[in-house]
Amino acid sequence: MTAAQEQRLRALRSRVLVRAFDHRQRRHARGVWFRLRRVLAFAKEAYAIPRDEAERLIGEGHRPEPVGRELEPPRVILFVPRERVARVASARRLAVRLSAEMLSAECLALVPFEAEAGAVR
Amino acid sequence: MAFRDRLVATIRAARPVLESPGVLVVGSEVPNLLEEGAAATLVVSLDLDIGVPVDRHAALKERLGDLREFAPSAEEPSVWTPRSAGLLELNFVGMDPAQDPAEAYVLEDDRLPLLVFGALSLVSRGAEVEIGGTRLALPRPAGLLLEKLVTDRTGEKGERDLLVGLGVLGTSAPEDLDELERLYRRLRPELRHAVRSNLTILSLLAPRSGMPDPQPRRAEVAALLRRLEEGDPEVP
Repeated sequence: MTAAQEQRLRALRSRVLVRAFDHRQRRHARGVWFRLRRVLAFAKEAYAIPRDEAERLIGEGHRPEPVGRELEPPRVILFVPRERVARVASARRLAVRLSAEMLSAECLALVPFEAEAGAVR
Repeated sequence: MAFRDRLVATIRAARPVLESPGVLVVGSEVPNLLEEGAAATLVVSLDLDIGVPVDRHAALKERLGDLREFAPSAEEPSVWTPRSAGLLELNFVGMDPAQDPAEAYVLEDDRLPLLVFGALSLVSRGAEVEIGGTRLALPRPAGLLLEKLVTDRTGEKGERDLLVGLGVLGTSAPEDLDELERLYRRLRPELRHAVRSNLTILSLLAPRSGMPDPQPRRAEVAALLRRLEEGDPEVP
């Protein structure tokens, strides 16, 4: 075995160990990033909305995604039909990716890909 | 010299090994070759990955002498470097269908040692195409896509590899996705989780110049993720 092959093998085995570790963590705190990405993956559009609008949406029956409470500070993440988000004048559209803007938004309204999908969990 | 010309010239020069029984092109050049007229517009590294089934290794070695435009790298003998600037490197990798997808081993050999990547056990021989007068085999899209999704992807190369997977997804037919789902269901939970995790990463990637844009395809990625989640006992 060449030194380069040995190094690549070692790197690959290390990644396998980390992957197994990540898998065991999937329901624990470290797994929050997967759970957050998963929620965002089902969102066609994302909007930062003010707290009072988020509370109004919750009052209308939109259920916050549990992953929002697993972050510090907590976030309110709601799946909301596009027509309803369109009525939130102060909603600010964000690119759907793990950007600083996305992570700093206290309240997020997500439009699901399928109108009937609602919450993903 | 245009990249496509280099790719086609490389395929022509590598004909002795590419037409060796059982050998197939794997890796990031596959979506380039699947483009209309093998247009090769994706930005990828300057090599051609050649998958060698371990039971065809001996037959392939007999053809290495005909590979006149390349020479083995002293540092890494599974890489054959071109003798002229107009060609790409050849990168031989081993494939063992009996291997665990999460593992790897070295097939020791004086002339052509191979790193055998477990994830390539998911890849099987698909369509043959003719490029530059050479008949070469490509992988079946389902296995290639799953190989991209099951492999740990980090950093710039990892993200580009996922976008290569997106390119494969874009050319996949419904029956390819059926096959992908069947292959996925056979994986153990940890690897199924890795596939789903990589799909979420792919869904959130920013566009990159010269690569398939993930934004217009996010709905397809979400649909595939939902499909794989359905009936998976790991998913609450």
